Amino acid sequence: MNAIEVNNLRRVFTTNIGRFKRETKEVVAVDDVSFSVADGELFGLLGPNGAGKTTTVKMLTTLLIPSSGSAHIAGNDVVDEADQIRPRIGFIFGGERGLYWRLSAIDNLRYFASLYHVEPEVSAKRIPYLLEMVGLADRGKEKVEGYSRGMKQRLHIARSLIHDPDILFLDEPTIGLDPVGARGLRQVVRNLQDEKKTILLTTHYMFEADMLCQRIAVIDKGNIVAMDTPEELKKLVLDLSVIEVEMFGVSDDLISTLRSQNYVDNVSVENREQRQVLMVQTERGSEAIPDLMTLFEGIRVGKVTSREPTLEDAYVRLVGGEA
Amino acid sequence: MNLSKLPAHWRTIRISFEMQLRQNFSDPFIIFAIIVQPMIIATLALWMLQDQVDQFAIFVIVGSGMTGLWSSLLFISGNAITGERWVGTLEGLVASPTPMPVIVLGKNLANVFQSLSSMLASYALVALLFGLSIEIQQPLLFAVSILFAMLAFVTFGLIMASLFIINPAVQNWQNGLEFPVYILGGFLFPIALLPGWTTPFSYLLAPYWAARALQAASVGAGTFEEMALNWGMMLFFSIIYIITSRSLFLFVLRKARVDATLGMQ
Repeated sequence: MNAIEVNNLRRVFTTNIGRFKRETKEVVAVDDVSFSVADGELFGLLGPNGAGKTTTVKMLTTLLIPSSGSAHIAGNDVVDEADQIRPRIGFIFGGERGLYWRLSAIDNLRYFASLYHVEPEVSAKRIPYLLEMVGLADRGKEKVEGYSRGMKQRLHIARSLIHDPDILFLDEPTIGLDPVGARGLRQVVRNLQDEKKTILLTTHYMFEADMLCQRIAVIDKGNIVAMDTPEELKKLVLDLSVIEVEMFGVSDDLISTLRSQNYVDNVSVENREQRQVLMVQTERGSEAIPDLMTLFEGIRVGKVTSREPTLEDAYVRLVGGEA
Repeated sequence: MNLSKLPAHWRTIRISFEMQLRQNFSDPFIIFAIIVQPMIIATLALWMLQDQVDQFAIFVIVGSGMTGLWSSLLFISGNAITGERWVGTLEGLVASPTPMPVIVLGKNLANVFQSLSSMLASYALVALLFGLSIEIQQPLLFAVSILFAMLAFVTFGLIMASLFIINPAVQNWQNGLEFPVYILGGFLFPIALLPGWTTPFSYLLAPYWAARALQAASVGAGTFEEMALNWGMMLFFSIIYIITSRSLFLFVLRKARVDATLGMQ
């Protein structure tokens, strides 16, 4: 039996717009999602903002009822058997919210330990262990309001583990963290993987998914557009090379022009402080550079390099350059 | 809520109570609402009525205390759920194996206990400033009435909490509920002064029976029949609130999962 089994899951949100003439608008957050996660597997759900990752996780953690389809956690239905699921799962949603800021880390953990019916003698040992694990052992008595964002994120991890769950849902756990904090948190996830926890990790950081996940599902506009190991997903773009061009002032017109070239497969832009890095996927490799340069006339261009494709390039190809 | 499971949830109620108290004591707004504001109300009421006999003073003190108790339940307990939604902890509570009424019970208990104890202390201080006697004529009956009143208020808070989970917009009703209960509950003057058609509404409110019991015990009018009726009605309403809140919580939690209102809107 798989730890997580999802079949044709769909979730539609309904909102009312207009003050006098009320109109009902439907937004499909998750359209048709199916996947399964084996016991002890670290499975990644990768997608851009608004792709349906968090909505999927909220349905799997029993916080939202699906509009249609089904999902089972450890064989229990997320709608009708939520009470059986809840003691077995832990979850965190990225960001600073979800903790009691006016309480200390120890009190937060004590409270959640009682909510999960952890015996006092067990929690008395587990709380120091978890604080040590997430690097907060010397700050445990301080109020959470004085914590940095990274410390709060790590406390979230400790909170989600207080009852030693089999299955973990980590929704963008490193979002907004500085590189050092993010690296520390990824190490914590690795340690959990070593403990054979089943983990569903959502992220839009490609290298994070590549580094941690055994399998990845790429989700876009509420649908899964690809699902495989990181290595297999990278093969989707083996025929391509990526030309990276440092530029100052990339316009939408330029991107449209680039996309219209028959030798260009996809284009994405990454902002790096004052400059942008244009990433052009092409089958022609470095041979395409002279042709590309003719399109950049009048624009300040920096370093131009050619490289092998990565998981991020596979992702860009799958979701259509919206990274 | 399943009453047979209450002992198993006792530790959660106790810790929920403790954490709510800790958070309340570090919130300046709550400190003002439960300590400073009741002192201001009591000072005004006693200043206006200082020429009255002492016995009427204790009637006013108890009545003012009831207004503070009701307001704190209405606003602090009601806002506790909205607050949980805003800080993002409501989802964590709902997704835990502990039934939501158990968590809310601990929180309400803390709010009622805190407002009651701080109000008693502040009224005692104000009465001392005015040199008034605050002697309660039937202290034992008064103490038992306090316990029944706490039960009635805490269980009524379960109903309110379930309504606040369903939709933050319910919060708009808060202000509208404050003064009608002051008046219909007979907190500061007897309901006999109100039009006769309002009396049945008073009888449907547990706070009315609480005020009646506390006022009777404080002025020495607590006969066996009177106290048995008041306590019996408070117990009756508490059981009704517990039974109703169980179904209401099941309904609103499912509806909140359908409407996606557990997270911040």
